[in-house]
Amino acid sequence: MLEEILKSIVEMEEEEAVKKAKEYLDGGGDPQKLLEVCRDAMGEVGSRFEKGEYFLSELILGGEIFRQIMEFTLPKLQSGSVKKIGKIVLGTVKEDVHNIGKDIFKVFAEASGFEVIDLGIDTPEEKFVEAVKEHKPDIVGMSCLITAGVTSMKKTVDKLKEAGLRDSVKIIIGGGRVDESVKEFAGADAWADDAAKGVRLCKQLIGVEG
Amino acid sequence: MKSPEELAKERMRRIEAAVNLEEPDRVPFSGVGGDVIAAYAGITQEEFCFDYKKAKEAIVKFNRDFPCDWTFAAGFVGVGVPPLTYAFADDPDVSATVGMAMFGTIHDITGDVCTRYPGREIESNCSPQFIGGKFMEVEEYDDLIENPVKFIAEVIIPRICRNMNTPRKAMAAMIRLGIEAEKIKSFAMEVGMELAKLGYPSIPITLGYTPLDLIGDGLRDELNLILDLRRYPDKVRKACEALVEPILKVGLALKPLGIKYAFIPLHLNEYLSPELYNEFYWPYLKEVIMGFAKEGIKSFVFFEGRHDAHLETILELPKGWGIAYFEKTDVRKAKEILKGHTCVMGGVPISLIVSGTPEKIDSYVKELLEEVKPGGGYILATSVGIAPKETPVENIKALIEAVEKYGKY
Repeated sequence: MLEEILKSIVEMEEEEAVKKAKEYLDGGGDPQKLLEVCRDAMGEVGSRFEKGEYFLSELILGGEIFRQIMEFTLPKLQSGSVKKIGKIVLGTVKEDVHNIGKDIFKVFAEASGFEVIDLGIDTPEEKFVEAVKEHKPDIVGMSCLITAGVTSMKKTVDKLKEAGLRDSVKIIIGGGRVDESVKEFAGADAWADDAAKGVRLCKQLIGVEG
Repeated sequence: MKSPEELAKERMRRIEAAVNLEEPDRVPFSGVGGDVIAAYAGITQEEFCFDYKKAKEAIVKFNRDFPCDWTFAAGFVGVGVPPLTYAFADDPDVSATVGMAMFGTIHDITGDVCTRYPGREIESNCSPQFIGGKFMEVEEYDDLIENPVKFIAEVIIPRICRNMNTPRKAMAAMIRLGIEAEKIKSFAMEVGMELAKLGYPSIPITLGYTPLDLIGDGLRDELNLILDLRRYPDKVRKACEALVEPILKVGLALKPLGIKYAFIPLHLNEYLSPELYNEFYWPYLKEVIMGFAKEGIKSFVFFEGRHDAHLETILELPKGWGIAYFEKTDVRKAKEILKGHTCVMGGVPISLIVSGTPEKIDSYVKELLEEVKPGGGYILATSVGIAPKETPVENIKALIEAVEKYGKY
């Protein structure tokens, strides 16, 4: 049964996957095991994306299937029983009001076992600094869509440096307009322009096999 | 010293030679635009988006100090509301004036909820941004298919525009739009005249859209639409079919002005697998491009993101159909595939101009041009035209100089 659920998710059979997951739980299945299978499936979707077999359309649909299954699976899990592999403070940087890239990444990051603290859009540098102080994350993830975001990323990293927090976190930047030179410019540790790569790099940054 | 007329002719010849897949005297260079224009003039983004006089002066100043062959990127002072454009598809005289206006003043009048403007929803020095939204339910696909223009004008516009959601408010807003249209027209003409004095050719451009992008950007929101492709494929296909005609009508409304190019910015191209692209996107985009071609208008398509997976489909178009402007697709590879068939544009990552040094830019352009210059049919541009306000001006200068240095045939 779990194997079939995994296959349905990976093959993008939305209705099938959700139906089987429900049946599994209704039949007394272990929600923890279901969660793990869903995570594996999302990992496989991500890796197919990175191989060029899947596209953003599949990442989005995969994320949607995952979200639907989690809606009835998470309440069945005992709080604290879900192991987290790391913590990410995530936000779209100052002056940029787009959330799509950030939100797709968030689904995949959570599916991989990260705890994600989402600061939203148009996030001032100070808000990132405060969030790092408060949540002590492993990773700070900054997203932008428009070119103006590039300089906001640099300013945010600079603020983290000023606050003496830069070395306590790894920083990854993401979004349609970022690349290696933006990473160098901003002073980040990694960059990704898709969610699958982003999550793989986050795992590498904290030393979990990706 | 060349006269402005001579200079404009020289620049025009350069661009047209590239579009016609020939070698000009030098690789044509399409300049940068966006936030940096306002910043360079010392005005805020808010002033740039809402004050015609200041915007005009800023555009002229920038193009005087940073010469290029084509000021295409400088033509964008705001972000548009796609459904507003297509609400007037059956009234070409109207769509030719307010339908394509992208200015903050229009945002103030309509009160649309799908854009964010500096000094309004966001800080006065932010870029104007399009965020879209969901304005149509799945159940409404049939209404869209049945009569797209009526549906967009009468059902969607009141949902998007807070100042047009009752008949009285809509009437008042329409009159205000009419008054504003005259101001926008004078603004565009005055900018054109000033740029002509600087030796820039006049290249009037109309707008095209891919049906699927119109549904994603303006009606269903892109994420919902991606799910619709699997859940309701027939509805989406029929809606795309129905939207081709209004898209062409709006684009062709400007034909009497001697338009030669239709700009078609793509959005969902990068999102789709080849299977989905070839089913929902490309057939209708191709229809739009061919519809313009039939009327003697070449398409100028911006392929957002990475178009690598769909590059070969471009070869289905007739040779010399227009300009393919690539963002993140490797233009070397694109040129290789499309040479002798399609004019290729792009090549310089905007990040290099924002974060690089003049030396890095010089050597990048040198290497790039060695590869893509031969044979012509190439226009150099940054990956996206919008340069942020902090873009170092010495980097823009370095780009201009590098094209001059290495671009000659």
